[in-house]
Amino acid sequence: MIFLTVGTQFPFDRLVRAVDEAFDNGLVGEEVFAQIGETSYRPRNFESVASLGKKVFDERLKQASGIISHAGIGTITMALDNHKPLLVMPRLKKYGEIVSDHQLAITRRFSELGHILVAYDVEDLPDGVRRLKNFVLKERIATPDAVAKRIALFLRSLVTNGE
Amino acid sequence: MAKELKICLAASAGGHMSQMLKLSNSWKGYEVFWITTTDVIAQKLCESGKVYAVGESNREHLIRVIRSFIRCTKIIFHERPDVVISTGAAVGCMTCFLGKLFGAKVAWIDSITNVEQISLSGKMVRYISNLFLVQWPELAERYSNVEYVGAVI
Repeated sequence: MIFLTVGTQFPFDRLVRAVDEAFDNGLVGEEVFAQIGETSYRPRNFESVASLGKKVFDERLKQASGIISHAGIGTITMALDNHKPLLVMPRLKKYGEIVSDHQLAITRRFSELGHILVAYDVEDLPDGVRRLKNFVLKERIATPDAVAKRIALFLRSLVTNGE
Repeated sequence: MAKELKICLAASAGGHMSQMLKLSNSWKGYEVFWITTTDVIAQKLCESGKVYAVGESNREHLIRVIRSFIRCTKIIFHERPDVVISTGAAVGCMTCFLGKLFGAKVAWIDSITNVEQISLSGKMVRYISNLFLVQWPELAERYSNVEYVGAVI
């Protein structure tokens, strides 16, 4: 099963429609389950819901063989944490999908680093879906503990100086 | 154990919050409370401290910004944190400024999504922050008083 998710803040019909059309053209070859936000667009080829509770969301994510999503860092993180191949389409300001183009920069960087696949627009999607099946993602080695340690050090310095 | 700091953790729901939660080791043992945008995740956060949800707010909707700002002001006035830690975005930014106004120290962790330059919120907070962390090494070279120690995600 491919899990398609666009987040809950705004709909993202460009992506949902592109996946639906890829399905029409026989390019998906797998079941899709979608979380598509509050939108009037209804996919013809697969089951969709507006939003999902965290528990169900996590279950769907774990069951999925691959993820297709917007470039929200929350979703990217969850996919990477669960070692799921991920195809991302960044939301773009020019289509009114987001207030700034910040999803573009992180999409570019993470795809350069081999962590994710990208479809910048509708025409790239079929190829992305095809590659998703066999995509071996490059594990991301993050260092949250180093950052947490730096903050803890800062907090300790405040306690010491305050005395 | 150092209990004498009261810490305000400010982050919008979504990606900013996921990054904040990766840092939870840093404030262990201190008293904390949360300021976030929606109560979707409130339940999970409640385990560590009080949670205030002040509504979604971005620069496209002035009314919402004002509403969130008023709510944040009341919270900060009432809680008087010693430190504000934020990963962004708009709500985090205003909380940092309000905290500073009431004497708090400010720690800002710019989001991983800011690859080529620091965020708009971060650019403002940089002037008042006591600790400013970025998640890409080249950003630390580009800006003064900005540190890179690693990436949260």
